[in-house]
Amino acid sequence: MMENKNTQFKVNADGPLEISGEFELFDTSGEIITRQGPIYLCRCGNSKDKPFCDGSHKASDFSG
Amino acid sequence: MEDPRDRQYTNGEITVFWKPSKCIHATTCFRELIEVFNPGRRPWVNMEGAPTRRIIEVVKKCPTQALEFKYNREMDQDEIESNNPVVAEETPETLNRKEEKEEENQTRPTRINLMKDGPIVVEGDFKVIGPEGNTLKSMLMTSFCRCGGSKSMPFCDGTHRKIGFSEKD
Repeated sequence: MMENKNTQFKVNADGPLEISGEFELFDTSGEIITRQGPIYLCRCGNSKDKPFCDGSHKASDFSG
Repeated sequence: MEDPRDRQYTNGEITVFWKPSKCIHATTCFRELIEVFNPGRRPWVNMEGAPTRRIIEVVKKCPTQALEFKYNREMDQDEIESNNPVVAEETPETLNRKEEKEEENQTRPTRINLMKDGPIVVEGDFKVIGPEGNTLKSMLMTSFCRCGGSKSMPFCDGTHRKIGFSEKD
């Protein structure tokens, strides 16, 4: 069995989820968005560019 | 181990077991069958909302062991399945296809699914690294909070629904 141990989800402090390695990102209707990392996904809920981070976590003082 | 939050629901034919500690809020159950699985209602499972066969189909789609079921009597299993076959009979051809599919599952990259107004659901073989560089988890399935409101960061705890999170905002 081939393992994808190299897929990593790095939780940045008070910031986005950083994804690298081998993955496939699908949108809410199941269409593929990208396979190319690293990508940064919004965790604070405030990005205007969801699912990606646009730096809004700083302005909204996100903690988590 | 027995969790006091665990619940079970029955319609006489089957019993559905609900283990909230195993739920990753993938929202599959209520997107498929809101008549039975409605998180806005108490109790949230209404066993009268759909035929047994349909409830079984949706319970089987739960990506974790949060929802499981058993037949109340073995007799019922035969009766329900013979009237409404849930699984088609295997032929050499379908078996081959199944093996190919399993192979594909083992080699394919980690799948990251965005849930509408909900979490990031991840399936595969991956590692989660915390802010300090520590490995939080190495697992096959999890979900990450996207609304900013979870009490168990970075993972989803279902808060998005309570706060009415919308990804459009």
